[in-house]
Amino acid sequence: MSGHSNWPEWIYVAVVIALMCWVGAEAWNAERLVEHVPEGAEIIKVTGQQWFWTFEHEDGTKEIGELHVEVGKAYKFEIHSKDVIHSFNIHDYVVLMDAVPGRVTTVWFAPTDAGTHDIQCREYCGLIHYNMRGTLIVEDPST
Amino acid sequence: MKGILGLFLALAILVIIPAVDLAFAAGDEPGEYLDRRVIIWNLFFRMMTIAFVVGAVVSGTIIWQVWRFRESHPKAKPTPYEGTDW
Repeated sequence: MSGHSNWPEWIYVAVVIALMCWVGAEAWNAERLVEHVPEGAEIIKVTGQQWFWTFEHEDGTKEIGELHVEVGKAYKFEIHSKDVIHSFNIHDYVVLMDAVPGRVTTVWFAPTDAGTHDIQCREYCGLIHYNMRGTLIVEDPST
Repeated sequence: MKGILGLFLALAILVIIPAVDLAFAAGDEPGEYLDRRVIIWNLFFRMMTIAFVVGAVVSGTIIWQVWRFRESHPKAKPTPYEGTDW
């Protein structure tokens, strides 16, 4: 056919490929940044079991249902489960990670303001899942 | 040539410079920690932008094709497959 050109198709294909590369690159970069745990982050061992959370700080302090942290510090959670799959969620800080029996999963965050926030199980884990809650208490630095 | 330079400039401003900034912003020092809320919500809004652009490109192309290649379009011509009895 005279006057036929494939250029529009190729431009269309190039635009789609460019957008997909953009999506991939942005997602990869965000994941890389979010997964990079800062050096010196305090490790907190989090244990989920039906139907409450327990926390153990590096110095051995244990807490049940409440977690005290300080503004300006970085914390790395090592999340365990004693029975079924749970999911550790601090909604206000966009922290969300599954607690899987037999595995240790990790996630980190650094609180920015003093206050209290909800901790909630986000994976249905049995009868009282709805009330498997805790409280995150962010305090001003002690030193 | 100017068009291509302009395109690269626009791409640099929109994509490359913010990405490089973020890459070097991964702080390990107290007070420089990244706020995961910011990263995750920024990603979300960027993805929404891309999703709407894709939606606009795809639906716009389909709408244009339907409009351009309708039988009643002034420039419509029969294809060889449709015969010459137009």
